[in-house]
This record gives sequence, structure tokens and C-alpha cells, in this order.
Amino acid sequence: MSIGRSEVLHVARLAELAVREEELDRLVSQLNRIVDYVTQLDQVPADRMAEPFLPGPAAAALREDVPDPVPLARAPAEFAPEFREGFFLVPRHGAMEE
Amino acid sequence: MSWETVIGLEVHVQLRTRTKMFCACRTSFGDPPNTNVCPVCLGLPGALPVPNAQAVLLGATAALALGCTVHHTSVFARKNYFYPDLPKGYQISQFDQPLATGGRVAFESPDRGRVQAGITRLHLEEDAGKLVHDRFPGKTAVDLNRAGVPLAEIVSEPDLRSPAEARAYLTTLRQILMYAGASECSMEQGSLRVDANISLRRPGEARLGTKTEVKNLNSFANVERALEAERGRQVAVLEGGGRVAQVTLLFHAGTGQVKQLRSKEESHDYRYFPDPDLPPLVLNDAWIAERRDALPELPEARRSRLEMALGIPAYDARVLTSEVPLADYFEAVVAAGVEPKTAANWVMSEVMTTFNETGGFPVPADRLAALVRLVRAGTLSHQAAKRVYSEMAESPDGDPAAVAERLGLVQVSDEGALGTWVDEVLAANPAEVARYQTGETKLMGFFVGQVMKRSQGKADPKGVQQVLRGRLEASQQA
Amino acid sequence: MSAAAVAKETGARLAATQHLNATIHWSEGLLDAEAARVDAARSPGTLSAMPIAIKDNIVTVEQPTTCASRILEGYRSPYNATAVTRLRAAGAMIVAKTNMDEFAMGSSTEHSAFGRVKHPIDPERVPGGSSGGSAALVAAGVVPAALGSETGGSVRQPASFCGVVGMKPSYGRVSRYGLVAFGSSLDCISVLGRTVDDAGRVLSGMSGHDPLDATTLSRPPMAVPTPRADLEGLRIGLPREYYPADLHPGVAAGLRRTREAVEKLGGQVCEVSLPHSPYAVPTYYIVAPAEAAANLARYDGVRYGPRTVGPEGDIHALYQATRGEGFGAEVRRRILVGTYVLSAGYYEAYYRKAQRVRALIAEDFRKVFESGVDLLLTPTTPTPAFKAGEKTEDPVAMYLADIFVCAVSLAGLPAVSLPVGRSEGLPVGAQLIAPYFEDERLLAAAAAIERAVSADAEVRG
Repeated sequence: MSIGRSEVLHVARLAELAVREEELDRLVSQLNRIVDYVTQLDQVPADRMAEPFLPGPAAAALREDVPDPVPLARAPAEFAPEFREGFFLVPRHGAMEE
Repeated sequence: MSWETVIGLEVHVQLRTRTKMFCACRTSFGDPPNTNVCPVCLGLPGALPVPNAQAVLLGATAALALGCTVHHTSVFARKNYFYPDLPKGYQISQFDQPLATGGRVAFESPDRGRVQAGITRLHLEEDAGKLVHDRFPGKTAVDLNRAGVPLAEIVSEPDLRSPAEARAYLTTLRQILMYAGASECSMEQGSLRVDANISLRRPGEARLGTKTEVKNLNSFANVERALEAERGRQVAVLEGGGRVAQVTLLFHAGTGQVKQLRSKEESHDYRYFPDPDLPPLVLNDAWIAERRDALPELPEARRSRLEMALGIPAYDARVLTSEVPLADYFEAVVAAGVEPKTAANWVMSEVMTTFNETGGFPVPADRLAALVRLVRAGTLSHQAAKRVYSEMAESPDGDPAAVAERLGLVQVSDEGALGTWVDEVLAANPAEVARYQTGETKLMGFFVGQVMKRSQGKADPKGVQQVLRGRLEASQQA
Repeated sequence: MSAAAVAKETGARLAATQHLNATIHWSEGLLDAEAARVDAARSPGTLSAMPIAIKDNIVTVEQPTTCASRILEGYRSPYNATAVTRLRAAGAMIVAKTNMDEFAMGSSTEHSAFGRVKHPIDPERVPGGSSGGSAALVAAGVVPAALGSETGGSVRQPASFCGVVGMKPSYGRVSRYGLVAFGSSLDCISVLGRTVDDAGRVLSGMSGHDPLDATTLSRPPMAVPTPRADLEGLRIGLPREYYPADLHPGVAAGLRRTREAVEKLGGQVCEVSLPHSPYAVPTYYIVAPAEAAANLARYDGVRYGPRTVGPEGDIHALYQATRGEGFGAEVRRRILVGTYVLSAGYYEAYYRKAQRVRALIAEDFRKVFESGVDLLLTPTTPTPAFKAGEKTEDPVAMYLADIFVCAVSLAGLPAVSLPVGRSEGLPVGAQLIAPYFEDERLLAAAAAIERAVSADAEVRG
């Protein structure tokens, strides 16, 4: 298994992570090292495979439909990077308009 | 050569709950921005989702109403993508193990008569927030009041064969969901949204053509318009020797045109995986059976019951069952003793007009029944009854007899009073009297009308006729 | 002793140990406020005036919560974690937020935006991680107990390195509400304590079902364990996969001592096998990064935290710049690995496969416990604390520091690390593992071993 530069850049785009050109080669080699390492799971014979496992309750406990939100000790305006007239603001985002 | 149109619809409906899908924030519409928010729906560090029991119940109810199999175990999954309206960077949805699969909707196709469309699946998910683009220059504003509102996504099979048929399917689907009490299904408030997939192929061909997806459809009429536009566009592409590309398009209601959004190739890789914050949703068979038994009567069943049991025409039954409150009102009027066809006539005219205008029934069913009884007893003319009805609709306090009395609309049958009006009319129209007497007896209608007018609708038309006939014959003999 | 007096002493000790760089935030003002709150309370509570330090990935209203990351610089949570609320209600005082590997990703507490934490015994060495700050504070005698968090050994491993008790409860025993998510199916708020009793009392105080966390079990809170006098009638399994030939001699010697003590206490020792445990680390390094990649998507500079606007000024530039600059190298690596293993075409080969191997790992434990084994005894770490910088270049070498602790996390089991001696002055830890939800019995047995084995005695290979 070998991951190339373009694959790392593709994954970085999916993850919305800026990757600097000068760190790319090192990242590529580290990711290859990690992915090569985890690939040893291929040694586990497929016939021994069980259903995927998650610990914890077997079934989700449901919540009654009663309004009772956890209160906020400080309002969004106090932690938002940009907030005006009740709204969070981001740079103009046009994809859905056009 | 002709083309066969193949359409499948993805419908998102907001489930009628008081709180969000995974947190206890209110779902109310129209509140100030970012006021119905908490750590969970803001996607704050450390917050965790807990599913809403009522949303599960309504989702299951909707699924059963659509004839789906509700699964014993379904799994919430994370659908990963970045968007400013998506607080966690993923949407909690259901993917390879949805709540329900394999249903159907039977409906009246404008082209093919009675047909069925398959329902591929119904799954639960949370809504995203709202983006406002036109409020601050150069900025997009984010309101997360909607974020986390519970939705059911209902995916149809590609069984629809024309834009008009798609619209008819939607109308029926909406009716079923409203009957089931699962959703308000209001496109204005965003509690029902539609995305449409459309492709073309040669008739008889089994393989589907390349489909495109049309979004931003804000009314059923626009679904039809948008699909017409997109069908036209695809026909032009294919007949020009081109190939349809798999793209997403937005419909612009103003221009009636569709416009490409982005091509599927560069669309998202959603990296679905089971949400580790949520154990599987497990519903036991007894509970599912209970939900099925608790289903209210659905439009189809109610329509045929009204038709069969009450003997009203098919058309009337269809109109009366178009909405639950209308059908309920009609049945209440019948239960109050009104003959079904008479009740149907009233509900489909006077009552429906006010219902469409106000969304309500200002005249209670038993009052309408009482009014109809006055007509039957000859106390009110039909004409007068309509006036009494509108008066009652305006000020819904009075009982119909009292209102009729107050308006002076109680029918007059007293021969003396009728005679006075008749005499006045005959005196005022000597030419017509003469013509009648020369054999032009169809003028009787004219005289009756004049008397009714003079009496302001109060005169009993049968009595008027009787008195008129007596007077005219008497004067002829004289 | 009044809470005010405890707070004053704690403040003095915090001030005296600043060179360890174990805290991210504390202040005398907040200490006084906590003390006043506890002293004013009508009932002293089960944790009466106990000073507790909290790992900085557990949200608190009063202090900032940064996860030792620049992406949460200055972030102040508008709500408290359930564990914090419960501990405060039980009379505990929150005295500090502790340093950690960024977003709990690491095994040495070197990956912190606030600089590395120093080992209290040897400043050249690491305290382990990711809960290194909490472990160092307890080891330095600043607090009797601290909260850490575990995803794959992040409390047991630093406990072992620092010579304190590290208790990871069963998954679903303690609410994760307010624990900043890393690997949601693995994360557990856990306790570092001076003694088994300290750890047990803190765990008891915060355990139990939480309606705000769907992964907690609807069972009553854990009672404070009553220490066992001996281990009569208990079978203790030694899984052979956890005793490799190349085990560090000091660690091997520590475990030999522990085994002898167990037998002296009447416990019956037997060899067992957990054949899939060798796959635990690779399994973990698929599952945890995959979940982390999704869990860390919310740090996008839209709703909270600092924001970096990219050169293009659009939303994608904002995301990429904010996340590219806000996350440190190890976090970025794991996000990329996690995104990769979930991406189209790789899901089956990596994530789903890993969850299946995870089932085999859990199944091994179940079978051994069903065969009549009550507890398992293993080393906590393959070596004592290593030197700073020793493993930072090779991520996989760092991951292997967790080779004996990962399987337990994947299986959701309770386990405790106990100090069982020192090798060339550095603490050595032994790990006791119990069946699911047997946390109380685990601590009761651990208390007997704790009494029988001197933590400070030098052991020789």
C-alpha cells in the first residue's frame, strides 16, 4: 500500500486542512508508515471475522419529547468569532445561490 | 422518436415534534435567530446526541402509513461534509440500515389512471441550519434554530413517468403523511422539501439513462415546472446527439429555468460510518405492531368509506377527504343528522370557501346541521340560508333560527302577506300579465322571481307560485 | 479541615510545581471561589473538599477549555461536563485544568500547544500521555486525584510512568457529556489517584447513567469499593501475549513481584491467551483516527474558537486556514489517516475490518472471563518512562507505547494501573483488567494488591 502526494492532497481537501508544500513529503512518508502498519490487520483470516463491535448499551435509550435544553452559561455572541444581530457570520458563501 | 421520462423523488418532511431530533431545543418556526440552540445543536465541544422518542414514533408511523417494513434494528450514521449550516461537520442520518424500507403509494396519475409508486426507504435524520445570504454585504449569516430539527427522508423508486405524475404522487404522499399526523407538510415553512431525479430513455428500454438532480423546488407546481424544464433540456441534449451529464441543477421559479450547480464527479465523498455516539435504534415487534394498529384511517380508506357507507359521489368523496379537518367536519355534519349529499353540497361550497380562506370552521357542525334543518322544514329558503350562514360565519354566536329572525329572513308562507307582494308585482308589470294571459305561461318564473326580490328572499316560493296562479287565473276569468 | 484551607495549600503546591508545566489554567481566585462554594454547602458531600484537577478536554464553565490546542485558544465552555457537575455536587473542588497531548492524541504529553509536561522524577523524561498533566500533578503530590481521559490507555499509561493509580472505568459507566470527543466508541473519563481509594471515591462520585449521554448504561452509580483483605478464591489470568520475551527487565521484575504478592494473598494465578490482542494497536489506529476525523470536523472557525481567514477569503479558505493552523502535527496526521480510511473505496478494507477485528479482541476477553478467570494481570507499559523527543519522529514507535493498554479500550473493559515498584528510580506499573462493569470488584482487589506491593521499592530484572 502506498499513498501518493495527490492522494494526501485529496484527503486533506476532504478534511478541509491546509497542507503546506514544504511539509507534504514528510506527511506522505508518515501516512505511508501508519497505513502500512495498520495494514497488518490483513493477516487476520477473513473466516474469523465477527460482526463489528461497539461497547456500551445494546440499544439507544430515547428521550421524551419535552423542551428542556441544557442552558448556555454564556451566549453565542460571547464565543463566536464573528456574530451580528443574532447571526454567526462567515464570508459570503455562494454555492447554493447559483 | 419519443422518450420515456423516469422520475424519482426524495422528499424531506419535518416530523411533528416539540423538540429537535437529538436535543431538547424547541422546533418552533420563526423565532429570533440562534435562540433555540444548545450545546448539542451548536456542535459545541463535548456535546452528545440523544434521540427523540416522538420523532422515532412519527417516523415509524409515517413508514407504516406508506406500507413500509419498519426494521427491528436501524443505525444512525454520520454523513461527513463541511458546510456553514452544518454545526458538527457531519449530519446524523441513517445510511445502510434505515428505519424502514419497501413501501408504496397508490395514486391517480393524470396520464395513466390509477398507479403505484414504490417507496425505497424512509430514514430519520437531522436538519441543517439556515443560511441567509442577503442580509449582510459580503457575508453569509448562519441561523442554527433549524439545525437538528427531525426529518424523515422518503425516497421513491424511479416509478414516476411524467412531471405531472410526480406532482400527483406528491399530493397523495402529502395527504397520507398529514393523515398519519407525522408532519405538517408545509412547503412555506420548510416542513416539506423535494429533490427530484430525472432521466430519459427510449420506450421499452430496461436500463435507466443518466439522471440529473433538480433542487430548490418550493411548491408542487414548481416541481412540475422544473421537471418539465429539465425534461426539455435533456431531450434537446439527447436529440442534439449529446450525452446527459450527471449534474445537480437549481430551479429558478422566476425564469422557469434550471441551472447547473455542480457536477457529480466533484461532489462529496460523505464517508458514512455508524455514529459511535448512538447505539442502534431497536424497536420491538410488539411496539411496531402497536404502531400499525394505532394508524389513523388513511385517505384512501376514508374516501371509499364515505363513498360506500354514505353513498356520496366519488368526486365528492375525493374533495371532502383532501384534508383531514374537512372530512372530519363533513362527517360531523352528517352525524348531526344531515342527509349526506346535502351535507356534501354545503361543505363543498360555503364551508370550503371559508376553510380555504381561513383554515378554520367558524360555524360549528351542529349549527350548520340546524341551519339545514330550517331549510328542510321550509322555514328558510336555500337562498336565505346562505345569507344566514355567512352571518353566522362572521359572528359565530347566534343559533341559525335566531340569526334568520334577526335578519328577517324567515320564510313567509302566510297567504295574506304573499298576496300583498303578488299584487304589487302584478300591478307593476301589466305588460307581462297580458302576455301571460295570452298563453306565455313560462313568465311564471319571472313573476316568482320578482316576488322573491320584493320580499327580499323571504317569501316561500311554493306559496308564491300558488298565489300567483290563483291571481292570474282569476283575473283572466274576470 | 475547611475547604478554604485545602484550597490555600493546593494553591501553594500548584505554584511550587509550575516547572512541570502540568497545568494549563488555574488561579487563586478560582480556588477561593471553589472553596467558598464548598464551605457554604449544607452537606459536605462524599468528596468533602477534595481538590481535583481536570484534564483540559473536559469542559468547565469557570475555566477555559482548550484541549491543549490552538484551535480552542481562549474557548470558554458555556456548560459543564456531567462529571464535573457531579463531582462538584459531591463536594469536590475543581482546582486546575491540566496539560495534555492536543485533543488527547499522544502518549507522552509532548504534543501540546502549551509545551511538554515534565516527568516529576526526571524532567528529561515524559510523564506519559495523553493525560500527562493530570498524572504529573498527582505524582507530585499537588492533588490526591485528577480526571484524565482514556481513548487507548491515556490514563493507565501515564499512571504507570508516574507511579500513581490510573483507573479506566467500563465504557458507559461515566458520562462522556462534556468530554471533548476524540474516539467516541473508546473515550472514557478516567481517574488518576494517589491511592486506589482516592480513585474509587472519585469514580463513584461521577459514575452512573446520564440522560444526556446515550452510551451510558442505565445502571446505578458505582458504590465506593470496600477493599478486599485478600484475594482468596480469585483466579488471576496472565495472558501470554502480554509478556513478550523482550519486555523491559525492570517491568518484568515488577510484574514478577506483583504475581508473587497475588499468590501470597491467596489468589490463584494461571496462564491464559488473548490471541487477537497483538492486533489491538493497528485496530485502534484505524478506529480512533476515523472517529476523530469526524469528531474534529466541528472545529471550523464558524461558531467558536479563533478563525484564520484564508487569502481567497471564501469559506473553504477559512476552513482550511483555520484548521491547518489551529491543529498541531499529530492531530493533523490523525485527521488525514481517519479521513483516508473512511474515504470512498477504503471503508470496507480499513474501518469495517477494524471493527470486526475489534469484535475478535473483545471476544477473547469474554471467553477468558467465562472460563472462570476473575481478573487479568499484565504490565501496563512495555518500558518505564522514556525520554522526551525519543519517539516524536516516528509516530508508530509512539503508538507502540500503548501496546498493552489498547485492547482493553477496544473491548470497553475496566482496568486499573497500579504502581508496583521502581526500576532505576522510574516507576513501573501493573495492569489489572476485569469483566465488563465489574469496576467495583476490580478496585476492591486492586486495593489488596496495593497494600501488599510497595510502589517505591527498587526492583531488579
